[in-house]
Amino acid sequence: MKKFFRENGILLLIAAVLLSVLITLCSNLFSSGVDPLGSLLNTIATPVRGGISAVANWVEGVYDYIFHYDQMEDELTQLRRRVAEMEDRLRQAQYESEENQRLRQLLELREQRRDFVFESAQVNAHGTKGWDDTLTLSKGSNCGIEVGDCVITETGVLVGIVSQVGLNWSTVDTVLSPNTELGGQTVRTGLAGVLSGELDLMQQGLLKLGYLPIDHGLVEGDEIVTSGRGGIYPSGLVVGTVTQTGTDEAGLSGYALVEPAARLDKLVQVFVIKQFDIVE
Amino acid sequence: MARQDWIHKWLCYALALLPVWWLDAYVLTRFPVFGVTALLLPVAVTAVAVLEGVSGGAGFGLGVGLLWATAYADGDGSRVLLLTLVGMFVGALARYALARSLVGCMLCSAGALAALLLVRGAVDLFFMRANLWQLLGVAAPQLFWSLVWTPPVYAIFYRVYQRVGGDKLA
Repeated sequence: MKKFFRENGILLLIAAVLLSVLITLCSNLFSSGVDPLGSLLNTIATPVRGGISAVANWVEGVYDYIFHYDQMEDELTQLRRRVAEMEDRLRQAQYESEENQRLRQLLELREQRRDFVFESAQVNAHGTKGWDDTLTLSKGSNCGIEVGDCVITETGVLVGIVSQVGLNWSTVDTVLSPNTELGGQTVRTGLAGVLSGELDLMQQGLLKLGYLPIDHGLVEGDEIVTSGRGGIYPSGLVVGTVTQTGTDEAGLSGYALVEPAARLDKLVQVFVIKQFDIVE
Repeated sequence: MARQDWIHKWLCYALALLPVWWLDAYVLTRFPVFGVTALLLPVAVTAVAVLEGVSGGAGFGLGVGLLWATAYADGDGSRVLLLTLVGMFVGALARYALARSLVGCMLCSAGALAALLLVRGAVDLFFMRANLWQLLGVAAPQLFWSLVWTPPVYAIFYRVYQRVGGDKLA
């Protein structure tokens, strides 16, 4: 130890103290908090550091691949599961958003028709088999749905009439179905007739408003709504628009072909009118 | 020892320091153990001080201290002095009290690391940045994890010592 201090030891210590003080002072004096020597060293070292970091990254990647392969595979599986869950949530959110939109529109309808008592239902199946046009709903008698109830969209457009009811399901004959028959009238003229589906028209996506006078005066684009006559079905439900007019084979009455306003093949949720006030 | 031999010797030690620095600064920082990373530079100083004695240890400590103070993001000037002192005292201990061996290096490393962490902890306590238990929660695992790395670091510098260390080049 004495030898150390006799030789250059004391100078070494003095140098160490001076360097320590210098670096500390510089670090505090310069606003960046880095002493000039450190700054210079770091400037020079930056490209080297980049290279080292790249190598370290590569080593880390290799290390992970070799030693953490199972862990990475597990993580990948978990991430895939999470992505699937999140996609499911997104779909659910989109679905609920659309449902919300439909309910908002329905609310407007409810404001207009306070007499309606609705039951919302999901369309579980489209039962078109060429002979009829039906929808299967997710609700049935346990929710108060009965045969003959009208089914509408959120905008109040007629979809069809409930034809069968189970405990938690029901079947709807759409307006295109040959089984459907109900009173209709034109909005523009108030002329009344009978709306009915026909097998051949069903293939074309049309229904018929028949039993009209020969000089009915209907034109393409006229809107047809339910008449409500007889008190079986509510009045004022939009059915569709006239696309074509004519006279029946006997030449005794006129008819109009009506294109339904509801997109029957795109329905997801519908509303069953369980109660309504009869308006004659 | 000729000046050229002296430069040759310390250049070899400096080159041996490079992989230790690389490990310390760029590799081990990516793999914290017990939430801490190992301090390899003080261990390197200790190893060289055990092998080269007081003067060599102090000089190497000064050089490594400079590197630590300037090249590291959290470096500060006091590390130059601290590592110089570590090199000096460890060199003296190895010369007068301990054998020039791995065990001696381990003991000295433990002491040096404890001293450095004590200084660091004292500063933090003084400025009330953390309480004692929080500091111990960091210092103890860091001391342990750094000691784990002492044998390989000692092996690197011992290899250099075997080739060019002491007065072998004289």
